[in-house]
Amino acid sequence: MTQTTIDSSGRQSRVVWYRNIRVLRVVGQAIAVVGVVALLWWLFNNLVTNLDRLNINTDFGFLGRPTQFQVPYDEGFNPRSSVWSMMLVGVKNTLLAGFFGIILASILGLLVGIGRLSSNWLVARLATLYVETLRNIPPLVVIVFVGFAVFTFGPFPILSEADQFSLFGSDHSFLILSNTIWAVPSLIAGENAGLFWLAALAGLGAAAAVAWWRTRVRERTGKPHHRVLFGLGAFLAVAATGYLIAGDVYALSWPELSETGRRITGGFELNFGFISVTVALGLYTASHIAEIVRGSILAVPKGQSEAANALALSSFQRYRYVVLPQAFRVAVPPIISQYLNLVKNTSLGIAVSYAEITMLTQTSIGNGRPAPQSIILLMGVYLALSLTISSLLNVYNRRLQLVER
Amino acid sequence: MMRVKRFAVLVLGLALVAAACGDDDGGGNLLAEVQDRGTLRCGVNDVVPGFGFVDAAGAYSGFDVDFCRVVAAGVLGNANAVEFVPLNATERLTALQSGEIDVLIRNTTWTATRDGQDGSTFLFTTFYDGQGFMVPAASGITSLEDLADADICVLTATTTELNLTAVLNARGIPFNPQGYADNTQLRPAYEQGQCQAWTSDASQLAAVKSAIESEGGEAQTILPDIISKEPLGPVVRDGDTAWAQAVEWSVMATVQAWEFGIDSTNVAGFASDDANVANFLGALEPSLGLPADFAVQIISQVGNYEEIYIRNVIPIGLPLEGSPNDLWTNGGLMYVPPYR
Repeated sequence: MTQTTIDSSGRQSRVVWYRNIRVLRVVGQAIAVVGVVALLWWLFNNLVTNLDRLNINTDFGFLGRPTQFQVPYDEGFNPRSSVWSMMLVGVKNTLLAGFFGIILASILGLLVGIGRLSSNWLVARLATLYVETLRNIPPLVVIVFVGFAVFTFGPFPILSEADQFSLFGSDHSFLILSNTIWAVPSLIAGENAGLFWLAALAGLGAAAAVAWWRTRVRERTGKPHHRVLFGLGAFLAVAATGYLIAGDVYALSWPELSETGRRITGGFELNFGFISVTVALGLYTASHIAEIVRGSILAVPKGQSEAANALALSSFQRYRYVVLPQAFRVAVPPIISQYLNLVKNTSLGIAVSYAEITMLTQTSIGNGRPAPQSIILLMGVYLALSLTISSLLNVYNRRLQLVER
Repeated sequence: MMRVKRFAVLVLGLALVAAACGDDDGGGNLLAEVQDRGTLRCGVNDVVPGFGFVDAAGAYSGFDVDFCRVVAAGVLGNANAVEFVPLNATERLTALQSGEIDVLIRNTTWTATRDGQDGSTFLFTTFYDGQGFMVPAASGITSLEDLADADICVLTATTTELNLTAVLNARGIPFNPQGYADNTQLRPAYEQGQCQAWTSDASQLAAVKSAIESEGGEAQTILPDIISKEPLGPVVRDGDTAWAQAVEWSVMATVQAWEFGIDSTNVAGFASDDANVANFLGALEPSLGLPADFAVQIISQVGNYEEIYIRNVIPIGLPLEGSPNDLWTNGGLMYVPPYR
């Protein structure tokens, strides 16, 4: 690693090692690495020393011990089960709120984003009002507002006097609304449910085969393939046959008020925490997604729309076949980060007593579980969720990329 | 060369900063640190009238707040040298562990887990309490069995929710807890009927009941069932015995003064032949790190236990006579070791 220089008299000479640029670079990197490692080791040592001084243990053994408190709105949860199982309940609740929130936000965001570009004056102004209002309010305030305005101070009665809606002539209610719980009918798996799912799987295979066949038909004869419709038909045919053959597959379970008037038996319960968090975050994130969609549509060159009009495509066809496919290419990466924001914002659910992972972790810390390990687990949960969502959606993103030579 | 010099200066600067921060001290001289600093940092509640409450002008009042002042008067000689740090239930013990506060006087129950896992030391119990239930008077609920399947509002991160689960499960009463982080979210939910009952320490329920009824709300009933023991008192960190003893003897001085009949009106110039009283008022120097006249400062600036109780707890409707908080000579549990 020697370098040579040419000094003023034209003679070559060796460079000393402390002025040799390559040596200096390597030494500099080494010092930086040592510095960072030393800083992290010092922080970690500080933490462990202080915890030892206070006799707080630093292992993860607390995960196996009983929880001792009840999880809200989860009657099946036994307080004697371990802290680890309680955290799994929290992760499940976070995923539920995140999943339905993402669906709501995507649909609403797409519609509002397109609506803002509408030529109908009223639609455009309403969409603008929606976006500008919700984008500027912090998500916690939106959650608390939805929880208080819809449920606590809202129009719904208390559970014992809940509104029950039933179809004409039926004495089963298909919808129960109160200020704490909403209930809808649910399906209870019967004995042959497994058989039915096998049939459904076979139906998927049949649908794939039919779609492939129709594509081949189109290649040979040029007729439109309609493969989605054909595939759907094949799947339904096989699944329906399986359902009829299997017999006792699913039974409908109607929701009812219990005798004490304070619980709902049967059916599927949605508690007010879940509804507040999902609806509020769906509305809030939709306002951001609307702006992204609008921006991505405006990014498509105007010539594309004009060409579509010249080909006499209807407005729906223009959006569906020309504008939106090009717009999605631009929109998907920022929408991925909005989805991640939504999942992380579910941690604000503690304000409405929703039993998601952050609320349960905070409760267990307040009840004596060691804080550093619990917080590390909590961060790990959110990290895993975010990485999963972003990697799945990035697969979709890569398919949309323009391939250039 | 310039780049290397700049880099070297940066590294040197970081090293100096790291050296200045240093490791946290191994503990053991918080008393000296507080006396040097001249202010006591005290963790309190800010939403429970009668125990820890901040009014619209920002002034703190309450039973626990007065005991913060007692500790400040004893250790620093000035009852007003207190910095109050409002904390909710989830963060109170973490704030104590991390050193953000010197002492926590915030209606915290003494339990084995908190002594052990939370690295804290509980001192003299200043208030013997129990957990109760409050329901609207119009609901017609008179016993715990009437609460089957009910929604019950509870503060998370408290012994309240653990006791609720344990006792109601043991009695076979199904229920659903609604956990809230603090009373500002819990109270509207309770008043609008989202939960049928509110469970908390009986002292907190009395405070909230008087607040709701005086603000024109519905009449409330506190059920007669008391389902747990809740000894409330000051809490300090593990590992600093000198500080713990200084706080504890300051707090206990209020009960000793009550037993001797000394209060804020007669402490100046209190004369007695009893040598114990003379010791208490400053003749004894037991090397606790407190000034010799700490008891006089406490009683003259804040008052004795009875005065503190009458000032804060009687207005919310909890009588002193006949309760466990009465003096031991009257059949209560307030009994302090002799100052000798």
